[in-house]
Amino acid sequence: MRKKKNPTGAAASRPSKGSAGRGSPASQTTPNPFWFRECFLIPMPIGRKAINLRELLHAIREAEEPVLYYHLLQSRLIQSQPTVEYPNDFAIWAASALQDSQLAEKLSSFDPFEYEDLAQVRQAMVDIMEEYLWDLPNVPWARPGMEFHFCEASTVVMRSEISAATLPEFCQALQDVGLDSIYYHFFEARWRLEARDTDDFSYWIGTNFDLPELVAAIRAVDVYFYTLPEIRSTLLNLIHQHMGEPSDHPG
Amino acid sequence: MITLDDYAAIVGPEVIGQLHRLAERLGPRRFVNINSTKAGGGVAEILTRTVPLFNQLGLDTRWETIQGDQEFFEITKAMHNALQGLKVNFTPAMIKHYEEVNRENARKFTWKADTVVVHDPQPAYLITDLRPRAKQWIWRCHIDASRPHLPVWRILREVVKQYDASVFSMDRFAQNLPHPQYLIHPSIDPLSEKNRELTPAEIQAVLDRLGIPRDKPIILQVSRFDTFKDPLGVIQAFRLVQRHTPCRLILAGGEATDDPEGAEVYARVLEAAGGDNDIHLLMLPSDAHHDINALQRAADIIVQKSTREGFGLTVTEAMWKGKPVVGGAVGGIVLQLQDYTTGFLVHSPEGCAFRIRYLLHHPELARRMGHLAREFVRSRFLITRNMRDNLTLMILLDNPGNLLIEL
Repeated sequence: MRKKKNPTGAAASRPSKGSAGRGSPASQTTPNPFWFRECFLIPMPIGRKAINLRELLHAIREAEEPVLYYHLLQSRLIQSQPTVEYPNDFAIWAASALQDSQLAEKLSSFDPFEYEDLAQVRQAMVDIMEEYLWDLPNVPWARPGMEFHFCEASTVVMRSEISAATLPEFCQALQDVGLDSIYYHFFEARWRLEARDTDDFSYWIGTNFDLPELVAAIRAVDVYFYTLPEIRSTLLNLIHQHMGEPSDHPG
Repeated sequence: MITLDDYAAIVGPEVIGQLHRLAERLGPRRFVNINSTKAGGGVAEILTRTVPLFNQLGLDTRWETIQGDQEFFEITKAMHNALQGLKVNFTPAMIKHYEEVNRENARKFTWKADTVVVHDPQPAYLITDLRPRAKQWIWRCHIDASRPHLPVWRILREVVKQYDASVFSMDRFAQNLPHPQYLIHPSIDPLSEKNRELTPAEIQAVLDRLGIPRDKPIILQVSRFDTFKDPLGVIQAFRLVQRHTPCRLILAGGEATDDPEGAEVYARVLEAAGGDNDIHLLMLPSDAHHDINALQRAADIIVQKSTREGFGLTVTEAMWKGKPVVGGAVGGIVLQLQDYTTGFLVHSPEGCAFRIRYLLHHPELARRMGHLAREFVRSRFLITRNMRDNLTLMILLDNPGNLLIEL
């Protein structure tokens, strides 16, 4: 059977805790370098579709968790549009196929990172849609050819050849790695580590450098509303600021 | 010969590094691709380029084609049309001939492989005789099979069921099948004649030859003269724009000699153009890649006002050339164009005209949209991503039953 019960069940790849050398954070070297991983994801259509909001609701009730996970989080890596107008596939579909901006707004303001697990996320989405449908005189239908097609995804994760033992090396590496690495360490890590405010980057900085304010600033990034290139430039700016260096990165 | 390093300058060395690392993980591998022709059509175009590149990555990659008589290709053409939804009558004699030709080809093949990718329905039946020759059999469907004609799909489904996995170009093309189905979006080759960089002189030479002055902004749609590409709607939109801003419209399409509907649509378009010197109708041969490239690069705005569309690679091509695109809000165009960011999605000729006028009067915004569009294609729709997906797929099939493989 190819389904995994927990789509986020990757082994946590947290580096072990170590002490960085003395001096300013910019010059410290840690014995625990950060190894960037690469994340290759292939969507897998499951052959189920929804043609109206009621069908979408039924399907979300019944869907396996990897399907919800794909449409709420993983599709960010597949689409990577230049801006985040709506942050998940369901909201995008409400806007583009149902042409229902109100529903799109409701499905956008809902944030999966506020929940402990996908069962809670599912219930929150079902509640939003049920309440919305309850007050409608008619069920909204998708425009022809714009049905919602459900997918899950298969992922291959492997270690890249890029590592960093200092913050300047880390900044350089952030510019060199693909967006898939940013996705894996900053976006998907929140589910993998089962701590919604913790990502691999802030964990490594927190355990290897004495920069609690930088860690707090990184964890304060509202990740759900950032594109992957925006996350890259935001991280670079934050690290440069906390190292007391000017940043030439937009964002 | 074009090498992987030539792509590094376009996609970045890290992307090429990823391909090498994935290939290393796969180790020694005999990889066979099978389709029905070495020349002509999108599949042959992709394989011409990717097979040598996979070999450069260290995979022992071969490209085989099946041979058949005219009757066979008429049958497979009918099968292709049926997958696209045309109601085709498929007789037992046709099925028998399809199977026989595949069996004859199977007898001639001597290869053994780790992974075989069979492209489209023509050679699909090979698996029936050759299954033991390879560990992994993948059926790669490049066709818009979102609404196949059921009697024909039932026949093909029995064949496809024997494969370990299927790959479709869009989620909506996937079917109910008893094996994993994967989604790999189409891609374009930035070094092909249709997409490579051109010098201003090369672009000008094409315009001179085709008799197109550059005295006014150029609006372009590249597509067959087909009702679903809505060339009449484009002319209607152009008329609305023309009332306010002088410009030229180029409708560049393929020859329609073998397509009775195409000739009819072309006649209607010719009539709608009404001899307007600012409307250029170009019937280009199917291999006019250089001309299409030059036209796309010369254009100020590119339109793809389809009312039905599979993926819409002409949109990808236009975006790669840094052009803002005004596209119909249908099919794969919605997947590629982000409204107000990399172009505009429209629902009517009026909407199309409105957005063209807007872009003509906001050239800085048009440039910015074009830039974002090009970067979007660079990360999502180039041939290197397609190769990466195929390598990833092989790793996934080496580890059946897992949604997550950690190496």
